[in-house]
Amino acid sequence: MKSVCTKWKKPVVLFLMGLLLLVQTPLWAAGPPVPSEMKNPTAQLLVGIIVALLLVIVLLAYVVTGAAELYLERYKETKQSSGKIGVWLLLLTSSMMSVPAMAQDQSQAVVPELSSTSLNTLIAVIILELCVIFYLLINLRSLLSKDKEVVKSTKPSFSFAAWWDQINRFRPVQEEANIDLGHDYDGIRELDNRLPPWWLYGFYACIVFAGVYLWRYHVSHNGALSAEEYQIAVTKAAEAKEAYLAKAANKVDETTVVYQSSSDYLAGGQKIFVTACAPCHLADGGGSVGPNLTDDYFLHGNDIKDIFKTIKYGYPEKGMKSWQDDYTPAQIAQLSSYVKSLHGTKPSKPKEPQGTLIESKEPAAADSSKVQSTL
Amino acid sequence: MQAETFHYDNRIVKNFAFATILWGAVGMLVGLLAAVQMYLPAANFNLPITTFGRVRPLHTNAVIFAFVGNGIFMGVYYSLQRLCKAPMFSKTLSAIHFWGWQLIIVAAAVTLLAGYTTGKEYAELEWPIDIAITLVWVVFGVNMFGTILQRREKHLYVAIWFFIATWITVAMLHIVNSFEMPVSLFKSYSWYAGVQDALVQWWYGHNAVAFFLTTPYLGIMYYFLPKAANRPVYSYRLSIIHFWALIFIYIWAGPHHLLYTALPDWAQSLGVVFSVMLIAPSWGGMLNGLFTLRGAWDRVREDPVLKFMVVAITCYGMATFEGPLLSLKSVNAIAHFSDWIIAHVHVGALGWNGFLTFSILYWLIPKIYRTPLYSLKLAGAHFWIGTIGIVLYAVPMYWAGFTQAMMWKQFTEEGTLAFQFLETVTHILPLYILRSIGGLLYLIGMFIMIYNLAKTVKAGSLLAEEEAQAPPMASQDTVYGKEYWHKWIERKPVQMLVASFVLVAIGGLLELIPTFLIKSNVPTIASVKPYTPLELQGRDLYISNGCYVCHSQMIRPFRDEVARYGEYSKAGEFVYDHPFQWGSKRTGPDLARIGNKYPDSWHYNHMLEPGSMSPGSVMPAYPWMLDATIDTASTPAKIRTMQKLGVPYPAGYDQVANADLMKQAEQIKGRLAADKIKTPANREIIAMIAYLQRMGTDIKALPSTAAAQ
Repeated sequence: MKSVCTKWKKPVVLFLMGLLLLVQTPLWAAGPPVPSEMKNPTAQLLVGIIVALLLVIVLLAYVVTGAAELYLERYKETKQSSGKIGVWLLLLTSSMMSVPAMAQDQSQAVVPELSSTSLNTLIAVIILELCVIFYLLINLRSLLSKDKEVVKSTKPSFSFAAWWDQINRFRPVQEEANIDLGHDYDGIRELDNRLPPWWLYGFYACIVFAGVYLWRYHVSHNGALSAEEYQIAVTKAAEAKEAYLAKAANKVDETTVVYQSSSDYLAGGQKIFVTACAPCHLADGGGSVGPNLTDDYFLHGNDIKDIFKTIKYGYPEKGMKSWQDDYTPAQIAQLSSYVKSLHGTKPSKPKEPQGTLIESKEPAAADSSKVQSTL
Repeated sequence: MQAETFHYDNRIVKNFAFATILWGAVGMLVGLLAAVQMYLPAANFNLPITTFGRVRPLHTNAVIFAFVGNGIFMGVYYSLQRLCKAPMFSKTLSAIHFWGWQLIIVAAAVTLLAGYTTGKEYAELEWPIDIAITLVWVVFGVNMFGTILQRREKHLYVAIWFFIATWITVAMLHIVNSFEMPVSLFKSYSWYAGVQDALVQWWYGHNAVAFFLTTPYLGIMYYFLPKAANRPVYSYRLSIIHFWALIFIYIWAGPHHLLYTALPDWAQSLGVVFSVMLIAPSWGGMLNGLFTLRGAWDRVREDPVLKFMVVAITCYGMATFEGPLLSLKSVNAIAHFSDWIIAHVHVGALGWNGFLTFSILYWLIPKIYRTPLYSLKLAGAHFWIGTIGIVLYAVPMYWAGFTQAMMWKQFTEEGTLAFQFLETVTHILPLYILRSIGGLLYLIGMFIMIYNLAKTVKAGSLLAEEEAQAPPMASQDTVYGKEYWHKWIERKPVQMLVASFVLVAIGGLLELIPTFLIKSNVPTIASVKPYTPLELQGRDLYISNGCYVCHSQMIRPFRDEVARYGEYSKAGEFVYDHPFQWGSKRTGPDLARIGNKYPDSWHYNHMLEPGSMSPGSVMPAYPWMLDATIDTASTPAKIRTMQKLGVPYPAGYDQVANADLMKQAEQIKGRLAADKIKTPANREIIAMIAYLQRMGTDIKALPSTAAAQ
């Protein structure tokens, strides 16, 4: 029974690996027949794998069906068949039939469009197919097991300990003497146990993964490397932002911003000011590292549009950073209004004037009712 | 054949055991202080030597090289004698090894706190200590090999394979990574620069984990676990395959510490795939350990030694499974620079190294003191407190790391960053508090062990010379089982050494040599110029104060990082960085492009009291920088050293460098004065500001001037 199993595993693995390597080249040459997602070599590769796995499933299913018939005959010989085996077979065949059908549907539906969704779907299909293959292999193994195990399989109970022993291919502790290597290192003896199969095949799988990974990123160049990945992310984000701002009400920039003086609006600006601006301009705008925002002297203009521009783009060479990645246009507009509202207030420790004197046409902004009237 | 009588030296084992206990307690105590400083800036005490940037390197060096290092030697000196059926080769060498190593530790502690550091993580010690380490390591090697060559047991047991591979690989890693050009007795610059320095450093750093924290401890496990459990080793075949696969594959995996950085893509990919392939070889050790306990699990419930071992091996399995997952680029994009990595390494360090050390101490001390352990109950209490400590440490750190990384990456719908950096820090502070409680519990467990072992030692008496008997090594070998290549190499320690060296050299050479020789790996950028003398002095202060332990200088090509910090870092920007300062953790924001982002006065106030410029900041204050003067006497030597390393300062520049330095310092002084800050020009803060304002600006010079013209 073990020999049958390993006989099957090897060709399947080899076939899969071969396919991964082969499918690539012919599909490159084939060229683009229709401008669809199928042009994408990854999609081609994945669909190729799906088809190949389907073939494997059909083949395996055929073998399992044959084995099941054999098993049934043998079972009838030993005991009268019970309903159980019928149900079991039904389950087996139904899963066999339905899964490939489903897989086909999905792979066709995926073809027209190319996106991460389709990529994920294709991969999901492959994983599903691999599960089916695995399931079939397990069934095949139990079906082809010897008579002794046929009797065993009628025992209904599942034991975790037995399952654990089996997946690790443990030998009973009592039989240890047979595999003792006979060497004694300061009282330490060594056994010659087999490698746990899942460990060994896991190791092989990791090596295959390594090969496929390097192939994908450095030979076929299907995978996006860091810089490329960044470009993709930025482009996507720019589109999303554009789309959002197009329908959003807060699409405001330095040409359209206007001063608003409602207390709610200014309070919003003040909240940002306290966290972002106060370290350099002080909480009351009197200035420390940055200039005084309350006096009549301005470095970059006193118009609301100028203030907005200063906050948005900054004057990095003078120490004012750009805030457009930190706050939304609407927030910057709010902040601009708040900064403008500081003009004419009396800070506790005003910094000396910087920039040019700009005579305010407006009355002191602290008097908000008058400001409103001038707008 | 006539059996010979000889004596195992237990005194040296005892010495190393006591040293591992002492340094373990010290290292963990320092770690606890560092953990508290993360949320309580006042715990930095405004002194250079107690500031986080110096405390954390002391913590990592102490627990790795002092605690685990002495643990390795304890395990090796005990097991090697018995596995070779021979006493140690030379008691003098043993003593030189022991005292030499302790002296190195003391020198390391003093110099690190004093700010003498190379700025390369886990290789921070300055060049005289590097040389001392090399010498003591050679003494250890001679002593070990002498013992092996005088053995009475033809075959080398698997533990010894691991010891041999450890010795040769650590020697290789330490020597190659420590290539540095001395400036003075306690100052040197790394031989390598930028990308190359980063690759060598993480080739070393990763394999310090592999060949200092892993392979020697696997060797120790292979001796003490079957002894303590009184069970045969599960699978000799598994030992062979996982040993050779482990040492061959491990060495390649270093670049996974540099994913998404300016390291060439091919090297990053090698780091990814070799890390993934590492899962099975690593787990081979875990399986062989756990399966050896088959038939002894009933005793695991009662014996604290076995309990500690089971948790140690399980933690090893978890950490070595998580490591490869963290090496996948998509996972790394989230985990890197965050507390996730801190959680990961502490599962390995507290669980695997710590618990395995404890188990061996509990087994070994009663044995060599010929008395039962003072209290099994206390050992049980230690086990539970320690385990809860690990959980309470790791879970908050996983949580903090994941949460903060997600916050870093989050954008609003308007396309702006959802959180300021500082918001993401203050958000996870409660988890930092929890973590320090976990660490405290672990440390309490350690003290319980110290009490328990002290009582045991008091009750017993040391069997300094343990008599043993064995026939001399047979010239004809008994063949156990089939004879094949591995049976041959098991009898040949020198061939084993050479084979191990060849295997570990392959991965290193194939990654390092192309990065050094192929020019396209580091595309040059014309506008990148060497640091001015003042900036160079500032950079040395940055290194000396350990700024790199909290601040990275590597903006990865992610949308959020570019939005937050600026254009992503390019390989060509670091060609004059001896050493590189990319960092590995962002407790504070990245500084790669901090230059010209804030005015000089902002930095001045910020270094004096970080909270004044960034309310809620957990950064320590550096008030002494305002008063300490720049060591201008060292400038010419520094410039000459840099010239020797290939940095293109004009010939004879060392003589005029200080004049340039003062000119630039006066400019900064003037700018500060304009913002009402009065300071002399020769203060350290001025050099620091000069360096900070330079960082990442060279690349900006190109496009902006082009656009202006």
